[in-house]
Formats: sequence, structure tokens, C-alpha cells
Amino acid sequence: MAQEIKVWDPVIRLFHWVLVITFIVAYLTEDDFLDLHVLAGYVLGAAIIVRLFWGFVGTRHARFSDFITSPGAAFNHLKETLSFKAPRYVGHNPAGGLMILIMLISLALTVVTGVALYGAEEHAGPMATLFIDSSANWEDVLDETHELLANFTLLLVAIHLLGVIAESLIHKENLVRSMINGSKRST
Amino acid sequence: MNLHTVYMAIIPLTMLSIPLVAAPIDTLLNDYSEISTAPFSAERGQQLWMQEFPHTESNTVRSCAACHTNELFREGKHIRTKKIIDPLAPSVNSTRLTDVKKVKKWLKRNCKWTLGRECTAQEKGDFITFIQAK
Repeated sequence: MAQEIKVWDPVIRLFHWVLVITFIVAYLTEDDFLDLHVLAGYVLGAAIIVRLFWGFVGTRHARFSDFITSPGAAFNHLKETLSFKAPRYVGHNPAGGLMILIMLISLALTVVTGVALYGAEEHAGPMATLFIDSSANWEDVLDETHELLANFTLLLVAIHLLGVIAESLIHKENLVRSMINGSKRST
Repeated sequence: MNLHTVYMAIIPLTMLSIPLVAAPIDTLLNDYSEISTAPFSAERGQQLWMQEFPHTESNTVRSCAACHTNELFREGKHIRTKKIIDPLAPSVNSTRLTDVKKVKKWLKRNCKWTLGRECTAQEKGDFITFIQAK
């Protein structure tokens, strides 16, 4: 029987589930509970900063160098996945790795536009002073962009989940469980 | 039938249909009226607009007029954030009451902040009717 190895370190797992919770909270609270929405956004933003740092100094499979490959490799992996022939990677596969990068960028932009919108609309938060003399047009542009990015991120999450399901089925392993306890079988 | 004939048929039809389609804000008012008891009134809207609500935490008094002024043709200034608020009167600011999503968003946020609760459909309808007349 194949032995279990540690793949995802505690920082990665905590980061992943913090993202899940804060994104859901922020998405659902939206305008209804602004204070909670903003708090969720701050925690999410802080988590991304930690993740970026961890991508350079973290454990093996946490590093960007471990999973960021070329778009061609990612595309190739997708093709292989569709024909159920994709090879198994213990860390992120090339398509999954690219998705992590895109999700990180999309989430970061969502947070930044959110903080800017909070500054423009409520003159509050870290960017408040930037918008003291700004026109109402800025609010509309930021509002639309923030919403668009949030929905785009949701779309990415859906694709990410499809990928997780596909890889789990192809390689007969439970990737959700691995993101909870950090382990995978070695081969 | 060539393309010109099609256009010549469609264009007058399009122009004809414009007045027949309700403005989005009227659709919203209609939605509110279905769950309200009394017909909307600009007077009642103005009364609530001027009404002062004590906010115990900050020991201040809040009202719509405190930030938006009671003359909607004028620029307002938020009493806490000091943000300059463009006039609400559609007669001087034609973008007002055109974007329903924005109207709903700010009615929700500002009722919560000012009254300490969400406004009822009746109150929101009264507010919009009051603003519309300006």
C-alpha cells in the first residue's frame, strides 16, 4: 500500500479555508451588512499577502516555482484531463497551478477595488484620503468593477471545483480531504 | 425585402414603443406600492426626510436632511464622513433616480445609518415620490 505523505503545510490549508469562508461571507453580505463585508475583505486581503510571501519562502508545494508553468503546459494538462489521461501531480498540476495564480490575482483586484470603493463611498478605510475630492463617477466605476471582479472570481471558483472533482475521480483520491489534513498518498 | 425596408419598418415602431415602456424607477415604485398600504405621498416623504433620529452611540442626531440638506437642488455634505454629495433633485441632476440598483442600494444603506433600521416599502415609496417632485 502506498504511504501517506504531507503535501499541504498548515499555512496553505489555513489560507485555503480562510479564503473560502471570507469569500462566501463577503459575497453574501454585500450591501446588507457593510461592516461585516468590509471585515471579511480585510481578512481576505491579509491572507493573500501572507500567501504571496509564502509562495517564495514556504514549503515545497506552496512555492510558486513548484506549480507555475507555461500556459501551454496548463492547456495540455486540460486536454489530457478531458480524455481522462492526465498524469498525477502530488502538488498542483499545471492547470490547477495556473488557476491558483489567476484566482489570487482576481481576488487581490477584488479586494483592492473594494477598499477603493469603501474609500470613495464612505470616506473610510486605508484609501479614504485618496477620494476626499473625487467625483461620484469614481464610485460608479469602482462599484461596477468591484462587482464584476467578484463575479469573475466566483466563476473561477466554479471551474476550480470542477477541476478538483475531475482530478479526484481520475486519480481516485479525495483532494478535499487532502486540503483538510494535508496528506496524499505518495504514488 | 431589402435592409432599408426593414429599417424603415422598425425605426418608427421603436420610437412608438418608447413612451409605452415604463421608466425603471416607476417599475420600482410599482413594486413598493404592491406591499404598501397607502398611496405614496411626497408630503409624508418630506416629513420623514426632516425627522431627526437620535443616535445614542455617537451622541448625535441623524436625519436625511442633515447630509442631503432640505433643498434637494443643493449639494449636500455627509455629517460624519464629510463627503460632498451631489444634488438629489432630478431637475438639476438628471442621473438621479435613473439607476434602480443604485437607488435600492443607497435607500438600504442610508435608512440603516440614519433611522437605525431598514425603511419599509411605504417609506421608500414616499421618499422616491418626494425626490421625484424636486
